[in-house]
This record gives sequence, structure tokens and C-alpha cells, in this order.
Amino acid sequence: MEFGPIFRSLLRSRARVILIVAEVALTLAIVANCLSLILDTRAQLAKPSGFDDEHLIAIQATPFDDRLRDPKILDQLVEQDRRTLRAVAGVRAVSHTSLRPWERSGSITAVRLPGTRNEPARTQSAEADPGLFDTLGLPIVQGRGFTQAEYDQGGDAPLSEVQPVVVSRALADHLYPGGGAVGKPIADADESQRFTIVGIVDHFYNPFGETSEKIMLLPARSASFDYGSRYLVRTQGNPAPLMPQLEKALLGVEKGRFIKLRTTVENRDEYHGRDRLLVGSLNAVMALLVLVTALGIVGLTSFSVAERQRQIGTRRALGADRLAIVRHFLLENWMVTSFGVVLGVLLAYGLNFGIVTWVAGARLSAATVAAGALALWTIGLGAALGPALRGARVQPAIATRNV
Amino acid sequence: MLTYNLRLAWKSVRRYPVLSALILLGIALGVGVSTTFITAYHVLARDPVPGKSESLYYVRMNSWGAADDPFLQTPPPIVTWRDAQELLKSRIPVHSTATFASRGTVFPADGARPLRQSLRLATADFFPMFAVPFRYGGPWSREADAKPETVAVIDSALNDRLFGGADSVGRTIRVEKAELRIVGVLAPWRPRVRAFGLFGSPLQAPESIFLPLALTGPMALQPNEGQMNWRTPAPGEDKLPYASRLMVNEILFLGFWAELPNPESVKAYKSFLDAYVTEQKKHGRFPHPLNNRLTSILDLMAELKVVPPQTKALAAISLLFLVVAALNLIGLFLGKFLARASTVGVRRALGASRWTIFVQHLVECELMGLAGGALGVLLSLAGLAVLNRVYGDGPAGVAFFQLDVPMVLAAVILSLLAGAIAGLYPAWRICAIPPARHLKSQ
Repeated sequence: MEFGPIFRSLLRSRARVILIVAEVALTLAIVANCLSLILDTRAQLAKPSGFDDEHLIAIQATPFDDRLRDPKILDQLVEQDRRTLRAVAGVRAVSHTSLRPWERSGSITAVRLPGTRNEPARTQSAEADPGLFDTLGLPIVQGRGFTQAEYDQGGDAPLSEVQPVVVSRALADHLYPGGGAVGKPIADADESQRFTIVGIVDHFYNPFGETSEKIMLLPARSASFDYGSRYLVRTQGNPAPLMPQLEKALLGVEKGRFIKLRTTVENRDEYHGRDRLLVGSLNAVMALLVLVTALGIVGLTSFSVAERQRQIGTRRALGADRLAIVRHFLLENWMVTSFGVVLGVLLAYGLNFGIVTWVAGARLSAATVAAGALALWTIGLGAALGPALRGARVQPAIATRNV
Repeated sequence: MLTYNLRLAWKSVRRYPVLSALILLGIALGVGVSTTFITAYHVLARDPVPGKSESLYYVRMNSWGAADDPFLQTPPPIVTWRDAQELLKSRIPVHSTATFASRGTVFPADGARPLRQSLRLATADFFPMFAVPFRYGGPWSREADAKPETVAVIDSALNDRLFGGADSVGRTIRVEKAELRIVGVLAPWRPRVRAFGLFGSPLQAPESIFLPLALTGPMALQPNEGQMNWRTPAPGEDKLPYASRLMVNEILFLGFWAELPNPESVKAYKSFLDAYVTEQKKHGRFPHPLNNRLTSILDLMAELKVVPPQTKALAAISLLFLVVAALNLIGLFLGKFLARASTVGVRRALGASRWTIFVQHLVECELMGLAGGALGVLLSLAGLAVLNRVYGDGPAGVAFFQLDVPMVLAAVILSLLAGAIAGLYPAWRICAIPPARHLKSQ
């Protein structure tokens, strides 16, 4: 290989070399850091809720008609609503619950083991009917769910009565690290209310407040005039087309109320809005950057090929074949790109240090940098290929003209 | 001389249309991307209430019970009704308000289907404190707070919907069971940061109906955002209407703001708060150590991470993007300039100085920079439109992310900078060429 001559010829066009090295280095630094930020954010976005998000619709029915101020009528309405929703074709399960997946809303309460002064554990709490587990697609892995009787008396039970609760694995393990939480008691922080764990659900993730994995579910009918009734509907197929039908069905039961429907996927996307926007922006910046840099390398290489037509002609006339010319330019470009990549790796770590120190984010992983370096090598070679092929087409006769 | 240089630049653009278009596109992309993300950062990080941010303070007091819970060592973010009522009596702040968000049903006069609207309850001081803009009328009076009068301020979107955008001051609107007299209609308003409500997304649009805080009880309104309750209700207490429970219990649901224009008033207010809590301790409330906090609105924004740190990283990365784009253009300019080296040779031979040639080429670079920058501003408008789609628009189409004068100026400076980065070296190279070399090869 003709490393020596190529290196010496590079020394003669320092400006071009410095430019390409700088471009490649900066591009690598930016791409590696963008990739790192994207991977970091993606990890957040990919956390599964444990629910059948893709088939869920959240419905809120808020009354305005004065007749509905009577709690008895509201309770009857819940029964009617549930029956009506379940009867709609394409509906798989229905639950009346105050749990709002991905909506950044709900209730947080502090619980601990009765009779202890441990620091209370903060957990989300929600009211639910027996159908919730089926509707969410959240299986009970230990113990049992709620009975209809527990649900029917749940809302009216006096505070002194011990209530059955279903908790998530995270809460159970926090309170009873040794396991065997089913059947064990818990109490709220001032011990005014006591609960017995009757069942455990394995995976629960619903970011809200200080806790995302701890939940305590109580059997109760949580309907009120001011906050309305809330339902979750699990559909067999795509939920969106069913929404108008569900709305009509509910208004058919009682029209003196507002009905708001949203798919859980909509709510989830809104929850992730900022992060999705960030990933989208970073992708766009990266793509544009790579495009601009590739164009720049094409430009500079074409320029250098055009400048050296006569030399190419001479070499061809002296017996070099076309492949040798292509090889010369690719090799030259590869050497320059490699300088850039080496410098770029250093710059990438420098930039990452700055971002982590002054802004936020994760440390750059070696794999990310390696991926970026590999990508830039490929792009550098690809960008040089066109001009190099054009250079190879130079006729040997050029060398004899104009001397 | 400048016009001559501009004419030469224009000629050069026309002579190499493809190369010039590429250069233009490069600068436009660089300026467009960086202006978009710098604007996003600027909008989020900007002073939320211009001219007031130094003097607006958020009040927190540790009124938690249950002294043994370590979590309760930090004061809750909101205050109780009874504490708010006492704090509102202080005349140390120029303005002070206690506020919470609720929802209510509006019954249109024509019997049409009711509307569910977001409400904000506050005192009269709320409007001057947060520089709320009015189209018609104005805020209610402090007397209206005291009585309370059944009055309301509505936003422009609701005014458009109910009254066709006409001046509705003096007309009434039925919210739940109350007939409220409209005293003011807001101009389209999209505060950058909804600082007055700590819950929900800080970038959410404001509520559509504003009413006196004292109507909470009479209208039986309930907090719709955050509320906290550490005390289990006494027997029989849970039979009370919720609005009455809000007033007698220790339920936390109000955000409290005080406008304190100078350090003396901050100090005076701090001792007022301490004295209040010390007094309350005698009645068995506030079991935790004295821990009152006055937080300025800017500190509060930082605490709530209103500006996601990634936005800052993105702004920095987009600036680097501009630098790379400009670096790429060096090669293009170099190619373009050297291609007409012979013309330069003739000019030099005819007596043009190096400086003249240098200036001529730099003018061309800056011209391309400015033209590309203008295109880049258009691109950034498109970029911001995408961001607005995700963040949602405000009432009456007030977009959240908007270019303002400082940002357009920044774009101009960025494009001049890009032109300079891309053009300095090529311009220097071309003027350094000895004329003889190019004259020979004619």
C-alpha cells in the first residue's frame, strides 16, 4: 500500500485535511452524545405499565343534573353503566375504578405495619371493583381478588372495620421483606384504618407522585357528584373506533352528565410527551448533521480530485489502473477520517463530561462511542467513493495536454 | 463600495447557482436548527412574570401533623384554608393571594347543553400579581372578596363561545347554582409558566373562569388538583359537606403567594410568618420545628424543574450543529472562490489591494450567511410549529413557543457568525494568491 506517498500528499493540502478532521471529530462528538441521550430517554419510555395499555379506554362520567346528587341514584347508575358498557360488541371487560393509568393523577397514602413506628411507606391507592384485574390484564399472582360482597359494602364500611386490599409486589416486599404478605395486616400512618392483604399483583408501573410501583387497591364504589364515576374498558381490538359507540351508550343511560373518553395509549403518549419530543428532536438533529457532514466530505473530496486531474492522468499514463486510483483516494480519505475519529472520541468524552456536569444525563458508554465511530468511518468512506470513482475516469491523455 | 461588493456577490451567486444553493441550504439548516432549540430553551427559562419575578414569593409552612414521620419534615407545598385566611390579613406584602383550581359546570342562558369548565379561585390581588391581561373590564375589588360578591372573570375563549366575543362585562354567567356577574374578560393569555398552580404540568394553559376565593363555601366547590390530608376526620366530620370540611379541617389545598418588593419587606414577612406559627403552636398545631419558606418564583421554577435539563443540552448541541454546518461550508466557499481565481488575478494586477479582495469575498460570505439565516428563521418557524403541536396551543390560538425579537436578533447574529466561520479562511486564501500565477495560465 502506498501509505507513504499518500501521507506526504496530505501534508501538501493541510487546509483540506484539517477541515475534514474537524468536521468528522465534531460530528462524532455530537452524534455519540445524541445517541447517549436517546438511549437514556428510550429506557424511560420503554418501561411497561404491566397493563394491556393498547386495548384500554379511560372514561370519566361527571354529572351536572341535580337529580344525580343522590348517592343512591349514582350507585345504581354505576351498575347500569357497567352492564351497558359490557354489552357493547367488542368490549372484553369493564371496571369501575378510581385508578387512572398514565394520567398523573390519583391518591397517595402512607401505610406501615400496625403497631410499629417505622417510616411509613408512601403508596398509590385506588378504589376498584372485582373486575379491575381482568380489565387491566393484571393477574393476581398470590392470594385472591375482591368478592362482590366486599365491593358492595366497601364504600359504606365504617373506618373501624378491617378492609381487604390487593397490593403490588413492590409494596408487599417493602412491608414484608421476608415474603408471605398475603393474609398479613397493614395500617395507615395514624392507625385509624386497618387493612388485610388478600392478594398480590406482580408488575405494576404507573408513575405518579413519589411512587410508581407501589399500589394498594381497595374494594369500593367511588362515585360522587363532584368527581363523577370513572371506568376502564378493555376492548378486544383497536379501542379508538369503539369510543363514539361507548359515549352514545352511556348518554343513553343518563344524559345529565359529561362523558370524557380517552384511550390509555393517548394518555401514555401525553405522559411521555416531553421525552418523545426530545428523542424526535435528537434524531432529527443527528440525521441532518450526518447529511451535512457527508455533503461536506463529498464537496472537499471532489474539490481535491478536480485539483489533481493532471496527477491522476500522469499516474494512469505510467501504468496505474483505475482500481489503484480509487484505492488511492479511498485510502487517503480513510486516513483523514481516522484522524477525525480519534480526535472525535476524545471530543465526545469531553462534551459528555460538560453535559453531565452542567446539565444532566448519563455517562457515555464505550459501545455508544464505538457505534458512532463505526458509523462515521462508513459515512466517510461512502462520501469519498463518488468523487474517487470520478477521479478514476480521468483519461491518461490528460497528462500529456497543456504541459 | 458596499453596493459594488454586493453587486459582485450577486453576480457570483448567479454564476454558480448550484453551489450557492448548497451553501444557502447549509446555513439555513444550521441557523434553523439552532434557532428552534435556543428559542425552546429561551421560552421555558424566561422570566415567567416580567418585572415581577424578583418580588413574587411562594409561601410554605410546615403544618403537617404526625411529628414522627421523616417524610413530613419538609413543609407541604400548599396551605390550609384557615392559615390562608390569617396570612391574607397581613398588609406587609403589596399584594397577596391564596388560590386553587377547581372545575364547574356552566349552564348557557339559551338552554344549550352545559359545559364543563376549569375554574380558578383566588383573591382580587391575583390579577395584578401575575400581570393578567384584560380585554374588557378588570379584576373584582377587594370588597368583592370580603363580602363575597358573586362575580367572575372569564377568559377570551369562553367569552367567544358564550357571547360571540362581545364585551360581556355586566352580563351574567351561571356556574353550578350561582349566577355570577362578569366583571372582566381576559385578553388571550398564555403564561409561559403556570407558576400560580403548582400541580399538573407547569406548561398547561390557565383556567377559563376566575372567581373570588370566598365563594368556595357558598358554591360548594372542591379542589380539582392537589390536596393533602394527614388527619383522619373526627367521627361525624365526614358527614359534613366537603366544602365545609375544607374550612374546618387540616386539608391542604391552597397555593399562597405574596408580593414583597424589597429585602426589608421579605424580612418583615418572614418574622410575621414565624410569629404566626409560634402562636399556632400554643394551640397544639404545627408540631414540627419552625420551618417556614419564602421561595421566589425563579427558585421555585428551578425546584420544580420547569425547564427540563435536556432542553439545555439540546440547545447546546444545536449550536454545535451550526458550527459543523459552517465548517462544511468552508470547503464549498473555497471551491467557489478558487474557481474564479483568475478573475481575482486580473483585478489584483489592475491595482486592487489584498484588503479590497478580502472585503469583497467576506461581503459575499456574509450576504450568503444573512440570506441563509432568513431561510433558517423560516425553517425554525416550522420547527416551532412542530413543538407547539406537541405542547398544545393556548387559548385563542396563542402559540406556546414563539419567536420574539431577542430570538430573531440571535438568529441574525448566528447567521453572520456562520458566514464568518465559513468565509474567513476562503476569503483569506483567495486574496493571498499572487496575481502572476493566474495571469500566466490564461
